[in-house]
Amino acid sequence: MEPDEDLGQIADGIYANGDENTQRHRPIISSEQLDIEAYAALYSGRTKITRLLFIAGRCGNASMQLEALRMAYDEIKKGENTQLFREVVQKIDGSLGTTYGPDPAWADSVDRRAELRKEKLENELNAYRTNLIKESIRMGYNDFGDFYYAHGQLGEAFKNYVRTRDYCTTAKHIIHMCLNAILVSIEMGQFTHVTSYVSKAEQSQDALDVVTVAKLRCAAGLAHLEAKKYKLAARKFLEVGPELGNNYTEVIAPQDVATYGGLCALASFDRAELKSKVIDNINFRNFLELVPEIRELIHDFYTSHYASCLEYLGNLKANLLLDIHLHDHVETLYDQIRNKALIQYTHPFVSVDLNMMANAFKTSVPGLEKELEALITDNQIQARIDSHNKILYARHADQRNATFQRVLQTGKEFDRDVRSMLLRANLLKHEYILRTSRKH
Amino acid sequence: MDTSLLNEALASKSYDKIADISDNLMLQCAAEGIEFQDEWPYAIHLLGHIYNNDINSARFLWKKIPAAIKEARPEVVAVWRIGQKLWKRDYVGVHEAIREFSWSPEVQPIVASFAELYKKRMFEILLSAYSTISTKDSAHFLGMSENDATNYVLQQGWVLDSASQMLTVKKHAVITEQKLDPSKLQRLTEYVFHLEH
Amino acid sequence: MNLNMNSMESLVAQIQGLSSNASDIAQLHNFLKQSEELLHSDFTRLLSSLAELDPSIHSLGFLYILEACMSFPVAKEQVNELIVSVARFINSCAAEQIRVAPDKFISVCKRFKDQVILLEAPIRGVAPMLTAVRKLQSSSEQLTTLHADFLLLCILAKCYKTGISVLEDDIYETDQPRDFFLYCYYGGMVCIGQKQFRKALELLHNVVTAPMSTLNAIAVEAYKKYILVSLIHLGQFSTSFPKYTSSVAQRNLKTYSQPYLELSNSYGTGKISELETLVQTNKEKFETENNLGLVMQVVSSMYKRNIQRLTQTYLTLSLQDIANTVQLRGPKEAEMHVLQMIEDGEIFATINQKDGMVRFLEDPEQYKTCGMIEHIDSSIKRLMVLSKKLTSMDELMSCDPMYLGKVGRERQRFEFDDFDSVPQKFTI
Repeated sequence: MEPDEDLGQIADGIYANGDENTQRHRPIISSEQLDIEAYAALYSGRTKITRLLFIAGRCGNASMQLEALRMAYDEIKKGENTQLFREVVQKIDGSLGTTYGPDPAWADSVDRRAELRKEKLENELNAYRTNLIKESIRMGYNDFGDFYYAHGQLGEAFKNYVRTRDYCTTAKHIIHMCLNAILVSIEMGQFTHVTSYVSKAEQSQDALDVVTVAKLRCAAGLAHLEAKKYKLAARKFLEVGPELGNNYTEVIAPQDVATYGGLCALASFDRAELKSKVIDNINFRNFLELVPEIRELIHDFYTSHYASCLEYLGNLKANLLLDIHLHDHVETLYDQIRNKALIQYTHPFVSVDLNMMANAFKTSVPGLEKELEALITDNQIQARIDSHNKILYARHADQRNATFQRVLQTGKEFDRDVRSMLLRANLLKHEYILRTSRKH
Repeated sequence: MDTSLLNEALASKSYDKIADISDNLMLQCAAEGIEFQDEWPYAIHLLGHIYNNDINSARFLWKKIPAAIKEARPEVVAVWRIGQKLWKRDYVGVHEAIREFSWSPEVQPIVASFAELYKKRMFEILLSAYSTISTKDSAHFLGMSENDATNYVLQQGWVLDSASQMLTVKKHAVITEQKLDPSKLQRLTEYVFHLEH
Repeated sequence: MNLNMNSMESLVAQIQGLSSNASDIAQLHNFLKQSEELLHSDFTRLLSSLAELDPSIHSLGFLYILEACMSFPVAKEQVNELIVSVARFINSCAAEQIRVAPDKFISVCKRFKDQVILLEAPIRGVAPMLTAVRKLQSSSEQLTTLHADFLLLCILAKCYKTGISVLEDDIYETDQPRDFFLYCYYGGMVCIGQKQFRKALELLHNVVTAPMSTLNAIAVEAYKKYILVSLIHLGQFSTSFPKYTSSVAQRNLKTYSQPYLELSNSYGTGKISELETLVQTNKEKFETENNLGLVMQVVSSMYKRNIQRLTQTYLTLSLQDIANTVQLRGPKEAEMHVLQMIEDGEIFATINQKDGMVRFLEDPEQYKTCGMIEHIDSSIKRLMVLSKKLTSMDELMSCDPMYLGKVGRERQRFEFDDFDSVPQKFTI
């Protein structure tokens, strides 16, 4: 009963499908180490520092770690956050020579200046408040927000930015307030705040300018990503307009939009959506050009070149794990993408040779069997594995038998349910009679 | 204690009736307050359940037997050993338990009849569960010597590969009655008609 | 004394004279009701007067005197004699006569049950109690208060198979909640003993979801067994209750059954070692609650469940791989598990010893045989009868003045929720 003739056909199919990449000469990037300098240049402000510190903490490579710390040190010195400065100095711990030492003179002078500035801001704000000049009070709180943000007191910064809300007189002011609140909330990891201030900003009466729209999409995308709502995240990132450019570097780089959006889309979209919303999306194509690996792997996935796709993903993984927003989601996204690929691979066939499939997915046959087992149990693939001959056979449910089975099952349940219902009704009736007879 | 029904069943070798007859008789004796335990044919009663493959009932009966009787009557214990092997699904152990004891003349024919029945039951199980099986295992399951077992199954159309000592099982074509009595078809049609109108 | 003698004699004479037809019986019944005092005065005389009566002819009178006898404290040496005469009476009495005084009959049977249990000879009560149930019932659809007593005796006497015989009847009429709870609970235990898990599940389900205004111990114990039997029979357990379940049960049952719910959670993961650890931790509790045997069956059912899951996934699989996946000690043990499951019809497969492989097959049932058509036909007929019953009950209820009064008063509060689990109308 071995369906030999089927096998021949299918083998052809698989060759046409999976082995083609040997003929296509495409350079595949090696897993080169992250170029920190180039990476850091994409960002500005506080996120640049926190990203560098994140890399230093995660990379597990001494020279890379020191490089990141050195750049963070330089960057902090441009600002006024002495608290963070002291932390970084402690992390460097003298290993970068005297130039990267504690520099108490600088730190003390910054702190002194900050004291004075704070006093001045307080006096000003008090004066505005006694005079009840709305716009000045708003500016006063906003200045306080900026001050605390610069000094790394994010909670205080958030409070002051939000306080400006009562003194906003124009739609522009509101949007300004929202963007500030979003920025601080992202830094604090408070993504529920992000979502609520994004929707507040989007409710604005005035038409938003395109750059602001792009920023809000990014922020919303990040919030969905954090909440593991990958499909929603993908939609938001895919809607980011090209006007974003380098206008939001204190939060996100356009490269990130391509990476986050591309991976979330692969993990959560079906084939049709992938085609219409990603591949045919001219707008998003511009972003993808910035990260060719992501562009290539999406194309590979769509054209069923899974081996190449998975290789790209494998190469990118180490660097993605160093991304401050993506690192927690890499494993889940990768699993979902891989499962999608496995499902798509098996979909058109009556039977699939497991050796070839394992080859296409760069795995062993027993490993592949386990993966397929999980997907079949989960009813994501309708097939059964012939472990003896290492072939996967599609399973076609027999409609007639299934109907008979269901009918008999339903009959049994009806029988059981009616009987127990009659009994319950009898008990209720009896209880009611008893209760009324007691009353009399 | 009126054991005439039981004796009748034993005499006519209707061993499948033993269990019900004995169960009823026991309940009647108990209701009459008769101290039946000492003379009760426990071995035969147990075998009746075993013969019907009702191991649950055999087990509960075994639990009911007073300890003194278990001590005094080794044959009762020997019968329960068969039941125990069945309970544990120790297919090979059942044959051993049958062979191990020299049964009394009253019990012997029932045991022999059960042994034959069990052999047939095992053959049916092997038939449905295996596509190939070693000569050694089929001998174990059927409770025969390897030679006898091989000959037995070859008669049923199985094929022996002498190099590997493997038997290929030959399934019989299952013939089931598929012809439909027209009256049933008529009735089904009526149901459908009813449901639709 | 003299007067009593005479009266007793005249009473016996009345009984002998008024036992032939329905109107006589009614007259006798009145007379007996008026003689209560006399009946409870002299035990020895009562006992001896029984000898003058034939239980099959003078059933009602015999019943009254027997009941009176049993209300006296009985000396040990007389207990045996009394039990035998009750057993004989139950066996030979005329059903239509004892149904005139069901309370007396029930009282005699209950005392009889207590006595055989006290004597540690429950088996002596099994056959008479079954007869008593049948004689008391006006139809096989009626639940009597003696059902539960009969089932209890079956359990104590380990006569599970005999117990099954009354459980095969479809019961629809019940009025005493306590009878119903006990019937379902003991019935569940009898079915568990005979491994008839589907029926056991149905009975225990009835206990758990029955209307109740305060929580009772029977429901708590039934819920624990319900969890275990669900796992054994269905391989899963849903913690959500059907919506017709009383709110008392929904609120409280889970808190009393924590280890059982943990067991069911662990079962869901399919990891045998985890399940075994959990069983070990709670072993004492399961044992004191008399559920350890069932718990062990839950554990062994998990092997089966895991093998069954493989049949959904694989067409062929080596015995070694089965052993690894299901955590068995080796291919031989895997082969024995598969063999047992084939024997029990739990999977469809063939073992290939030569290659050490198992081939899993689809269910060979094609729904084409005459037997199957017969089965479907009888199911349809049965369901038609059931749905007619449902409709007539519905009609009866909607004409019941008491029900209408209630609905009129509490229109807002009353909903048809109780009837939601089946189609509103099922017209055949």
